[in-house]
Amino acid sequence: MSRSLWLMIARVKLLFFLLPERLLRFCLAFGFILLRMCSNASVITVQLGSLGQADKPQIHLLPCEIEHDGPAEVSRYFTPTVKDHKNEMSVSFRGRGLKGAEINCPQGYTGLVLKEDNKAASDQEDRTVRISSVFHRFTYWNLETKPNSDDGVVMAMTWPALAEAVSVC
Amino acid sequence: MSHKKKRSPNTHNDTWVVVAADSAVEAPRRKDGDPLLVQLRNPCTGVASLYMFGSDDAHLYEVKAFNEDCHSWFIGQTVHRDGRLLYITPVDPLYHLLPYLIKVAKEGKFQLLQQMVIDEDFPVCSRLLNCKETKASLGLVAEEKEVAGQKFYRYSQEKTMEWLKKKVDKTVKALKNSNISVGGGVKSTTYIRVNQECDFCEEDYLRYAHGLISEYISEDLSKDLLKHLQLPEVLSPNEAEPPSKKRKVSDKPVEAGEDYTKFNSTDFARKPPKKMTAAQKSLAKVDKTGMKIMSAFFSPKAKTEKLPLGWQLWEVSDSTNASPQLLQSQGS
Repeated sequence: MSRSLWLMIARVKLLFFLLPERLLRFCLAFGFILLRMCSNASVITVQLGSLGQADKPQIHLLPCEIEHDGPAEVSRYFTPTVKDHKNEMSVSFRGRGLKGAEINCPQGYTGLVLKEDNKAASDQEDRTVRISSVFHRFTYWNLETKPNSDDGVVMAMTWPALAEAVSVC
Repeated sequence: MSHKKKRSPNTHNDTWVVVAADSAVEAPRRKDGDPLLVQLRNPCTGVASLYMFGSDDAHLYEVKAFNEDCHSWFIGQTVHRDGRLLYITPVDPLYHLLPYLIKVAKEGKFQLLQQMVIDEDFPVCSRLLNCKETKASLGLVAEEKEVAGQKFYRYSQEKTMEWLKKKVDKTVKALKNSNISVGGGVKSTTYIRVNQECDFCEEDYLRYAHGLISEYISEDLSKDLLKHLQLPEVLSPNEAEPPSKKRKVSDKPVEAGEDYTKFNSTDFARKPPKKMTAAQKSLAKVDKTGMKIMSAFFSPKAKTEKLPLGWQLWEVSDSTNASPQLLQSQGS
């Protein structure tokens, strides 16, 4: 009698011991699935209405990573030193000679800078981005090498034409 | 490289530079009909990738990132650290519907589209049914039956193959119009473009186009398409490539415009030089071994076939840390 009672208590204890962990695991698993679903389900709206207010700044693609996001006095220190000799652009940036060229967006394509003003608190939330700038061309800079048709960014600009062939029926 | 300075991870990112198709940013007809960036299952890899529905879901666009190491932007009077350039280009929604059609094809029944295109992980996929192309061209990959005003569909392998073949033909045409080099050298990314010699054979174009299209379909379909195009499967790259590479290097003089010594190996891989001076010819030997290593690096996986472009465009998905989830850059 007492033996079976102890066994029962032990079982109940075991159950209690196991339960929270199981529950936690279950919740974690469930939560994970839920989170994943939500993040896949969340959408980012591109507010086209902002197109009218978008500015048209000068844009440069630099051959270095700058560990900064935010304002910089580009027009004071960078653009005045750009030299344009017979369509060969060069500039000295941090003591390095950069050689650049202008590149146009492919026909039928427009360059946009999308900006998210209010960062979503979690990845479940739907987000919005506005069009802060519009451009049709930008300047890309190589470190020392002369810009040519083999440059990655020049080749990348052929992608839209190919993509349309691949996709449009 | 031990001397390389460690870069802090780029965690904060709220700006993206994109080149978008004009049709994608046309003013919506309805006030709340703005384009939507969403995640859909990539029809080739099956993982979440970034796409965009145009205004009122009329068209589907894919988002690909052109990403070179060590690049940043100056946008007006600001610095933008993330040097990626995103491309928003139209994509046929049928590529995305095919996996769903094929999944239920085993049942062999005609079904309503709404019954087939269901995905718990990607609920937005039902928006695909609103696309204009879906309604117009679903008959190209499936048999159609109309009962009591409702359309029922069943996947058709033969129709799909014909449809894909037309895509290949169209891509071949586009490739011929562009000056993209489609020869074998492309596969190693260290190729030399010789503009005056456009003697790539038809098979090179076909294979290249097949490679491009294979990025939009499952591996099984890609293999079936290869058979349908009557292209023999490529020999294992280990057997096929090294001799052809060697020949390329020794037969044709390598043309280089600038001093090799200025480049480190990664620079060289990306920017193939054009002309060659006497001093550089002596470096050709070093070059050859380098190419061998490159081919060895790229060859073992069949995946190389799926990256036929000399430059890289990444799917914007959460599986690569180069382009994390929904534009959220978590550093590289």
